[in-house]
Amino acid sequence: MNSRRILLLGSAVLLALCACDWDLWGIATRPTVEDRVKESLSGSLTTPGPVAVNPASFSFAVFGDPQIGRDYRSRLDRFRQEVAGRDIDFFCVLGDLTDDATPDEVDSIKLQLERVGVPYYATIGNHDLYQGDGWERFKENYGPSCYRVVIADRIKLIFLDTADGTLGPTQFDWFESELQDSAYTRIVCTHFPVYDGEKPMMWRLASGAERVKVQSMLVRYGAFAWCAGHIHGWRHMQVDSVNHFTCGAMAQQLDYGEPGYLLFTFAHDSLSWQFVELDRQ
Amino acid sequence: MPLKAQALLLILLAAAGRAAILPSFTLGYRGEPGVESKMFAAAQADVTPLPYVRLDAGFSFNLFQNNGLGAAALGVGAVAHDRLGLALRLAVQHQQWNDWQAGENRVLATLEAGPVYGLDAGLGLVHRVPVFGDRYWSPLVWSGGASEWNYLYRLRWKFVQRENWWVRAGFSSYDRFTAHNPQQVPLEADGAYRVKEDLELLARAGTAIVGLSGGIVTFHEVELSAGVRYEF
Repeated sequence: MNSRRILLLGSAVLLALCACDWDLWGIATRPTVEDRVKESLSGSLTTPGPVAVNPASFSFAVFGDPQIGRDYRSRLDRFRQEVAGRDIDFFCVLGDLTDDATPDEVDSIKLQLERVGVPYYATIGNHDLYQGDGWERFKENYGPSCYRVVIADRIKLIFLDTADGTLGPTQFDWFESELQDSAYTRIVCTHFPVYDGEKPMMWRLASGAERVKVQSMLVRYGAFAWCAGHIHGWRHMQVDSVNHFTCGAMAQQLDYGEPGYLLFTFAHDSLSWQFVELDRQ
Repeated sequence: MPLKAQALLLILLAAAGRAAILPSFTLGYRGEPGVESKMFAAAQADVTPLPYVRLDAGFSFNLFQNNGLGAAALGVGAVAHDRLGLALRLAVQHQQWNDWQAGENRVLATLEAGPVYGLDAGLGLVHRVPVFGDRYWSPLVWSGGASEWNYLYRLRWKFVQRENWWVRAGFSSYDRFTAHNPQQVPLEADGAYRVKEDLELLARAGTAIVGLSGGIVTFHEVELSAGVRYEF
């Protein structure tokens, strides 16, 4: 390849990057996961409180990636019918709320989530940081990216910030201290999966050592599940005693598996789960 | 053939001038924020028992974190085209993290070429089998719920080559003891300085990306090492 071709190829890549809605300079200078976690754990942000549910019987849904883009479409209207039909108490969104984190997209997803009509928790995904002020907007709307909630004195939901594809030292320490609390069934809700099947994939937590460390902690402390988004499809793997769910995407077009959501039901002193498919439209 | 007999055969071949044996010893540091920060000591050997066969093996020991055996590896390569250095290489790796009671066994198959004009390249697949709990230390566990396939790749350029020293840079998602995930795009630079005819000093620096998905890039992992390589 001669230098002229390289120049042309480089120019084409540069033009493509400039034409997208990403704030490239903002991405390069935005707060890192360590910055976001420290702020999230500092107490300066309002942490979402526990939802009031019937402690003997309740259910909640988990899904990822509404990824609202320029057309502002998602499956959340369809999901709203599910919430009403199945009496779902609350839901958790596993990041990538928007496609490019533009102000319009941020406003649109907030409105659509509110319209579902039940309380919800959110954590951050990589797409939510595609503008320089992505973190500012996220915390304005949803609070911290890393927090935990105990539901009905039974289940502890641990929300992790994996939007950078890594946990970082502060979050690792905090995560371990939260996992140690064996009084509750512990479920991790975050954006990146750790394990998601045998196929070659580049959408997992990247570092091999980090994945091994996370899994060894989940096993050691007896966590029930790691729920992730990022990969737009449904997957379930059991690695030792730990369930690894990739929960499907709520985006209108992006789910290349069966579109749907993960439904947890607590009843008769035990927790069960099922994947609920949404009709393709 | 038992391992001791193989080792004896290689030593005899070397003594007869039939096998080239290149043992090397390195000390290094590997750090990943929040994950691990450790020193390691590695002993490895590259052996050419026959003109078209290459063997390699090594052990690595961790210090200060996950102390003890860290990795072991064994590889064999068959050279198909001498001038291009085209070779098919098969390797097995065992890596373990003693503090976490976790290990990973891997089998790698790569097609490698070079060096040609200082460039060497590789492409292949790895099957990795993480092992947790009581048997994490065993290199014989080849099934588990978290096993997966990954692509491997390598492209490096020895851009300075003088009589007594050389420097190389590029990216490689695998080496003797590790197989990175493909999205980490591990970058490395290494070099050697020949002190005497049969002794080289080695140095290597490497890093790798996390969060490449969707354009968020963080250089996360750092690995530095230095050592010596003999030839006899």
